Amino acid sequence: MGNDLRNKADNFRDKTVMISLQSVSKSFPRSQETLPVLNHISLDIYQGEILAVLGPSGCGKTTLLRQIAGFDKQDSGSVRMDGQEVVKPEVKRMMIFQDFNQLFPWKTVLQNVLFPLQVNRIGESDAANREIALQYLQLVELSGFEDSYPHQLSGGMKQKAAMARALALQPKVLLMDEPFGSLDALTRLSLQDLLLKIWQETGVTIALVTHDIQEAINLSDRIAVMGRRGVAGFKEIIPNLLDRPRVVGGGGYSEIYAQVYSLMDFRNENE
Amino acid sequence: MKNKDSYGKKTKTRLLWIIVFLVIWETIAQSRTFPEAIFPSLPVIAKALGDSVVSGEILLQTGWSLALILQGLLVGLAAAVLLSSLAVRSRIFDGLVDTLTAIAHPLPGIALLPLIIIWFGTGTLAILVIIVHSVIWPMILNITTGFRAIPPIYKETGLNLGLNQVRIIKDIMIPASLPYVLSGIRIGWARAWRALISAEMIFGAVGLKGGLGWYIFKQRVFMDTPGIFAGLFVIVLIGIVVEDCVFAAFEERTVKKWGMI
Amino acid sequence: MRLKIIAGILLAAFFGLTLAGCQTEGKAQAKKPEIRIAEQYGLAYAPLQIIKEKKLIEKNLPQIEVTWRQLGNTTAIREAMLAGELDVGFMAIPPFLIGWDKGMDWKIACGLSSTPVGLVANKDDIQSIKDFTPKDKIALPQPGSVQHILLSMACEKLWGDPKRLDNLLVTLDHPDGMNALLARREVSAHFTTPPYLFKELENPGMHQILDGREAMGEDFTFVVGVATAKFYQDQPEVYHALLKAIEEALSFMEKNPAETRRILADAYQIDENELQKYLDHPDTDYSMEVKGVMKFADFMQKNRYINRKPANLEEVLWK
Repeated sequence: MGNDLRNKADNFRDKTVMISLQSVSKSFPRSQETLPVLNHISLDIYQGEILAVLGPSGCGKTTLLRQIAGFDKQDSGSVRMDGQEVVKPEVKRMMIFQDFNQLFPWKTVLQNVLFPLQVNRIGESDAANREIALQYLQLVELSGFEDSYPHQLSGGMKQKAAMARALALQPKVLLMDEPFGSLDALTRLSLQDLLLKIWQETGVTIALVTHDIQEAINLSDRIAVMGRRGVAGFKEIIPNLLDRPRVVGGGGYSEIYAQVYSLMDFRNENE
Repeated sequence: MKNKDSYGKKTKTRLLWIIVFLVIWETIAQSRTFPEAIFPSLPVIAKALGDSVVSGEILLQTGWSLALILQGLLVGLAAAVLLSSLAVRSRIFDGLVDTLTAIAHPLPGIALLPLIIIWFGTGTLAILVIIVHSVIWPMILNITTGFRAIPPIYKETGLNLGLNQVRIIKDIMIPASLPYVLSGIRIGWARAWRALISAEMIFGAVGLKGGLGWYIFKQRVFMDTPGIFAGLFVIVLIGIVVEDCVFAAFEERTVKKWGMI
Repeated sequence: MRLKIIAGILLAAFFGLTLAGCQTEGKAQAKKPEIRIAEQYGLAYAPLQIIKEKKLIEKNLPQIEVTWRQLGNTTAIREAMLAGELDVGFMAIPPFLIGWDKGMDWKIACGLSSTPVGLVANKDDIQSIKDFTPKDKIALPQPGSVQHILLSMACEKLWGDPKRLDNLLVTLDHPDGMNALLARREVSAHFTTPPYLFKELENPGMHQILDGREAMGEDFTFVVGVATAKFYQDQPEVYHALLKAIEEALSFMEKNPAETRRILADAYQIDENELQKYLDHPDTDYSMEVKGVMKFADFMQKNRYINRKPANLEEVLWK
C-alpha cells in the first residue's frame, strides 16, 4: 500500500495537468490605493494529487483558491481547468471552507448532502440520491447523525459533513481552504487521516490551503510555498515524496520540515 | 426543557394577573359607581359574548376578518420578498425600494383612507389595500436587513453546489433570513390587524360581512357596551393565540430547532 | 413576586381613584352656571348658529358660560353625554330612542328643525328602491341613524321586510359618502341631507329616488334637542334660558331673513343663493314642535332596533 502511494507520488509528473494557472494577478481596492494580493502566480495542479499551498497568514492563499473555484475573477492571467477558462463556481470544483457555517443550519445532515444531489439530478431517483448521500456520510464516518441539525454537531463533525456533501457530487477536485484550521489538535489529526482515507478511496484531486507545516507534510504530494502578500510567483514548489503513513520523526521528515520552514517568512510577520 | 419550564411559568404569571384584573373589574362593576352602559359587569359581558357566539354573528365576522388579513399578509409577504430580492441585487432597485419605504412606512394605513376610498372604493379591495400597505413596508425593512445579514458563505456554497438564482433566493436566502422574515411577519401581522379593525370600523359592512371591527362599531352605535367588550375580548384572544400559539409554534419548529436564534 | 402583587394593587387602586375622581369632578363643575352643547354639521342646525352669533343664551342668563362642540356623529354626542361631558345634544330621533332604550337618563327638550333628506342614486337604471341589485351599495351615516330607519321604513312598506336592503349598506359619513357616490365606483346611492344632498344633485346623472316624508309617511322632526336629567334637574334656570334662546332664534330667522342669510352663509361657508334655495325648500322647517317620535318608536320596537318604547310622547319629553 505504502509503495503504491509512493509510486503514485513519484510519477505525478507523468500525470495529466487538470488545472492550470498562468500568471494570475489579483488586487483589491482599498480606500485610496489598490492592494496587490496575487502577483503573477503560475501553477499546475495534476490529476489525483494532493497539493498543499502553504504560506504565512495574509499572503493570498485563500484568494488564490477562490480564483480557482471561480468565486472571484482575476485581474490578469488565466485559470483553466481541462483546457477551459474558469468563469464561475461549478460542481466539478467543490470548495470546502474553514468556516463551520458552510452547512445550511435549516437542513439536517442528510438533507444537506441530499439537497445538492437532487438539484443536480445526480441519482436517477430520490431513492437513489438518498442511497448516495448515506454512502458518503458513511465514508466520512457520520453514520447515525443523518437526522441531526448542524448546530447539534461538533466542529469536526460539521467539517466531515461538508466533505460528504462535496464528495457526493463527485467533483474532480476538492479545494480546501484551511478546512481543519479551527479544530483542536487531536480532531485535526483524525480528520487528516480521514481525508487521506477518502483520497485513497475516491482518487479525487485535492488542493489544500494551510498555514500548518505539519499538515502540509502529512498530507501532500507537493507543497507550494507562497511568499508575503504581493510577492511575485511561488517561493518554491517542493515535491514531498515521503512514505505514507507519515509520522513526525520518520525518515526524511525533519529534513523536509526544515526546508519548508526556511522558506516561510515568519520574521516579516513580526516586524 | 428549561425553555418549557419558563414558558409554563410565564403562562402562570399571566393567568394570575388576568384573574387579578378580572376581580378588580368585577368589584368596580358591582360597586355600581358607574352606570352599566359605561362599566358592565363580567356576567353581562359573558352573556353578550355567549349570545353572539350562539347567533353565529361574532364567529362569522371574526372569520371574515381573519380571511381578509390572511389574504393581505400573503400578498404583502410575496410582494415584500420580491421587492427585497430585487433591492439586494440591484443598486437602482435598492434606491427605489429604500425611497418608497421611507415615504410609505411612516404613513398609517388609516391616514390613507380618504385616498383609498376614492381610488379603490369601500369594499374588500380597499381593506386589502390597507392591509397590504400596513404589512409590506415593515416586511421589506426586515427582509432586506435579513438578506444583508446572510453570511456570504451560504450564497457561495449555494452557487458552488449548482443552485440557480431562483433557488438561491428560495432555498438559501429565505431560510437563512427566516428569523428576520419571521419578525417582519410578526410586525406586519400586528400592524395589519390594527389597520383592519380600524378600517372595518370606518367602512362598515359590505353586506352582512363587515368583520370584527364592524361588529364592535355596530354595538357602539346601538349602545350595546357589553357587546363592545365581547368584541374586544375576541380581538385580544386572537392576538394572544396568534402570538403565543401560531408564531411561537412556528418558531419552535423552525429557527429554534435549527439553532438559528 | 410579592413586590409585583403590591405594585399591581397600588396600580389598580390608582386607576379606581382616578375614575372615581373624574366622576366627582363632573359633579362639582355642574354647580357653576354652565352649559355644554353639542351639534353636528349641517343646515338642519341653523338656529344654533344664530344663537351663537347673537349670544342669545348669554342674553337670557348673563353670568353663564357656554361651551359649543361640533361632533362628527350622533354616537359621539351620545357617548359624551353618557360620560357627563355634555348637557345638551342635538340629534335625530332614532339615536335618541336607542339611548333611551338602553337606560340613558335623558329626554327631548324641544324640536329644532325639519329638513329635506333624500336618497340620491347615480345610475340611470335605479329609479326607485325596487331597482337595487345585489351589486349596488347604499351609503348612509350609521346603522340606527335616521337615514337607516327611514330606508327600513320604505323597505317595509314595499316588501314587508325592513331589512331587505341591509345587505347593501355601507356606512360612510356624509363627505365620504358624497365622494363615493360621485366616484361612481361601488356606491350607487347615498342617503343624505343638505348641503350634501344639494351638492350631489347638482351633478349630471344624479337623481333623488326617495325622500324622508315619502319613507316616513308623515312629517317628522329631523333634529331634536336632548337634555340629560342631571342638567334638567340641577340647572332648571339654564335649561329654560336655552329654550328661550331657541325660541328667539326662530323668531329672529323669521323677522330678519337678510341678516339670517348672512350669518348662515358665513357659518356654513356657502353661497347666499344656495342657502336661500335650501331655506325655501318645502321640506325645510324650523320649529320647536316635536313630530314623529311615536311613529319612529313603534317602528323601531316592532323591528327590534329597540326593546321598549315610550307609552306616550310625554314619557320622553321634559316639561
